Amino acid sequence: MRAIMLLPLLFAAPAFSQSAQGDVSVTIYNNNLALVQDVRQTALPSGRTTVEFPDVSAQIRAETVTLNGCDFGIVEQNFDYDLLSPSALMQKAVGQVVTIVRTNPANGQETREQAKVLAANGGVVLQIGQRIEVLRDDGLPVRVIFDRVPPNLRARPTLSVTLQSEKAGTRPLTLSYLTPGLGWKADYVALFDESAGKIDVQGWITLTNNSGTTYSNAETLLVAGQVGEGQQNYQYQQQRQRGGMIKPGTETANRAQLGDFYLYPIKERTTIAQAQQKQVSFLDVGGAPATKAYEYRNGWLGTQDEAQSAATVLRFSTSRDGGLGDALPAGTVRVYIRDAKGQPQFIGENNIGHTPMGSALGLKTGEAFDVKVRPVVEKRERIGTYRWRTSMRYTLTNARAAPVVVDLIQNGLDNYYDDTRIESESLKSERRSSDEAVWKVTVPANGEAVVTVVFDTRY
Amino acid sequence: MSGPGLRRGDILAVAFLFSSPAHAQTTTTSPAPDTVSVSIYRAPDRGRDEAMQLNWLRGFALVTETRRVSISAGDGVIRFEGVAGGILPESAIVTGLPDGVVEKNQDANLLSPASLLGASTGRRVNIRRTVRATGKVSEQEAIIRSGPGGQVVLQTAEGIEALRCSGVPETVVYDALPEGLSAKPTLSVRTRSARAVTTTVTLSYLADNFDWQANYVATIGADGKSLDLFGWVTLASADETSFPRAQAMVIAGSVNRDRNRSPKPYQESSISLSCWPQGTTSDIYAVPPPPPAAPEPMMEAMAMDMVVTGSARAPAVMRMKAMTVKQEELGDLKLYRVPEPVTVAAKAQKQVALLDKANVPVKLVWRTMVYGGEAQPVGILMRAKNKVADGLGLPLPAGKVAVYQGGMLIGEGGVNDKAIGEEVEIEVAQSPSVIATAVVQVKGQVTLTVTNANPYPVAFEAKLDGDKLSGFSAKARRKDGVWLWETVVPANGNMVLSYTDKDV
Repeated sequence: MRAIMLLPLLFAAPAFSQSAQGDVSVTIYNNNLALVQDVRQTALPSGRTTVEFPDVSAQIRAETVTLNGCDFGIVEQNFDYDLLSPSALMQKAVGQVVTIVRTNPANGQETREQAKVLAANGGVVLQIGQRIEVLRDDGLPVRVIFDRVPPNLRARPTLSVTLQSEKAGTRPLTLSYLTPGLGWKADYVALFDESAGKIDVQGWITLTNNSGTTYSNAETLLVAGQVGEGQQNYQYQQQRQRGGMIKPGTETANRAQLGDFYLYPIKERTTIAQAQQKQVSFLDVGGAPATKAYEYRNGWLGTQDEAQSAATVLRFSTSRDGGLGDALPAGTVRVYIRDAKGQPQFIGENNIGHTPMGSALGLKTGEAFDVKVRPVVEKRERIGTYRWRTSMRYTLTNARAAPVVVDLIQNGLDNYYDDTRIESESLKSERRSSDEAVWKVTVPANGEAVVTVVFDTRY
Repeated sequence: MSGPGLRRGDILAVAFLFSSPAHAQTTTTSPAPDTVSVSIYRAPDRGRDEAMQLNWLRGFALVTETRRVSISAGDGVIRFEGVAGGILPESAIVTGLPDGVVEKNQDANLLSPASLLGASTGRRVNIRRTVRATGKVSEQEAIIRSGPGGQVVLQTAEGIEALRCSGVPETVVYDALPEGLSAKPTLSVRTRSARAVTTTVTLSYLADNFDWQANYVATIGADGKSLDLFGWVTLASADETSFPRAQAMVIAGSVNRDRNRSPKPYQESSISLSCWPQGTTSDIYAVPPPPPAAPEPMMEAMAMDMVVTGSARAPAVMRMKAMTVKQEELGDLKLYRVPEPVTVAAKAQKQVALLDKANVPVKLVWRTMVYGGEAQPVGILMRAKNKVADGLGLPLPAGKVAVYQGGMLIGEGGVNDKAIGEEVEIEVAQSPSVIATAVVQVKGQVTLTVTNANPYPVAFEAKLDGDKLSGFSAKARRKDGVWLWETVVPANGNMVLSYTDKDV
């Protein structure tokens, strides 16, 4: 009978129907981290009291909790994660009396008995009257009914704070904590008009919540940056940071900043539901100058058996003058061009790191079908004990109906052996660095161009 | 005072003890401690900013309990129930018994279906069988002849049978509990006393599955030159035993620990397939929802507007008032005592304030490292001196530091144990706005360019590593075995250093 009485009570419990959150603000960082601030109106008695905080992030980093408010001091903060489960219930019932109900397998008749739980180690040992038996050892139906839930067992990990309150009354308590499970990145849609040499760029913030909790009616702020824990992944970070950046900028964007980080507040309060992905627009620039370029990079002084496609690179700037005029948070740039019927078609995507305003970007979007390069080692002659003469021929072909300019890049000029010189070349090169030389080669429409270079190398 | 530890032979003694329940001795059970203190030591191999995994804590605790026990004259056994589940019995020390301890035993022999069956071998039990079709229950006396290694052989009035090979639901019903099986982790000691006495016994032992760390909240002032530092002691127990109203302490510093442990006796607890609550609704794992699909590019989608300028929000961290732990010296270690009794609960984490310091001068520095002509991403460093004159001057135990400014988190890092007088340096974030680029323009010539897109100047440092560096275009000095270039990068400006590195 008791069990039947309990059920309606359980479903009427308000905790299941509404959130205990108060005035919530959420600040989300790029690296799977968010700062949640939750101002709850809480009635406190005078003296010592313990306040529980339900409906915090299911992934809360409990050690980062701070609680602020008036007229109280904190005695201690507790985070209990002993969860209510059948086995925990049985473990905690050791030494106590429970009710067992045996069901007769033939006629369904129920028999009730009181049993003392002696142990719950791998199985439950019960004392019924003066006899000892193991629960459900013979596989027959037996229900176990507990009088109550033990005080320390929780439905979810629970945060509680013990306070010493100087006076009674309701007051706002500001709870703040860090949680993983919330993150965001930028997604850019770049519509490139090749003939006009312009791009239209829309920036979208994509925000995801896998923290296990819904944040209702939250003031939301996104911070473009990785805080903490960044040191652990240097290699990866470095690659991301440099993704496509030709020259870092030094201009400050017209946006709110916190230290070195740009802030992207969402104008209206919004509900960030668990397992939800939300997109909001933050950037919309039309008609910024952009050019398409071709790049081919030969990693070392070697021959390719087949002609290789040159990379298609979209170049633009984030400068105030002649560019997008904004800083770009890290994310993915998807590039589209219009087809013959005017419909945008996808031509490739690439990642960018956090990009300050004033930077020059060159994003490789794919490989050109019609523009190819074939490097060939024509001759190697020994000219000294440690010196060689390497003659390279690069054949560039263009199957397009318009001439193209290809940045032909030869790398590996000082990989392990130093002092690589260019003895002669059919086209003037630019030595970008000790390791890299570039020739800007114009390839005529439906034609080809040949560059020959003689290197004086130490290998 | 007993000997320093349990010897290998004592494990044999445990088995011996239980196989001879008829031994002439009296057993006293102490169900719980009267007073308890828990001193928690940090996991020695856990890094300064490695988080504690609450279900697998790698530190340990020294638990000291006092218990009032009455012992009778002659040989006796005192059973200390409710000790920590992670107890290392070889570390247990028992004092306060008038004539000392004969031997100590940890009862790994927990009461379970298997141990019950095992301890009943050779004894008379009852077999209860139920006929499914009629529900008729019949009981029959039997003697357990062998078990419980997966197969149990019984002797009944009808002959020799095998348990649960009949296809009929059957179970063993026992008339009494064999002695010496305990439901919970229990330490027992054998004593010998000349007379009956009631005494207060002190029991202390080391236990696994505890850990602690410091957690700092640093709030940088608007000027960026000082901070308020608030510290928490965060302690956690993954043990199954709760210690109510305990004197709690944490110990900072490193103590040496030997990896060689006496292996804990292993014991099977469940019998074959039949144990509750396995295979029931409790064992259904929640399957996390699949991550949402990547968004389609939205050329003309509806969206909320973003405002361009943000408004300052209420500070996330104001000044907190809190009960603070008391620091004591403990040899070469530091001990922090929670000033009033608290509950060190099973599977729970607790925080008590460690320190609260206002207006600590701090310097923010942007730093990169250059090696072999490659510059690493620029990190933002927080630098302070742990001196009284500089607003600190107290031992700082290792832990994580969360850095706030203007109500928002601007960084997170870790600090190792720092003694008074040491320099504290924490890398808290990577700067998206200050970028260092190194280029080897000509063989052996490195050009390091640092750009600053911030509307304010930044103090910048480059650590230049390499054996053959020379010809710096600006002043560089040797520090800590590398060349250090210190400069201020103007707002929206850049600075360039060129030098020779014969290795690139």
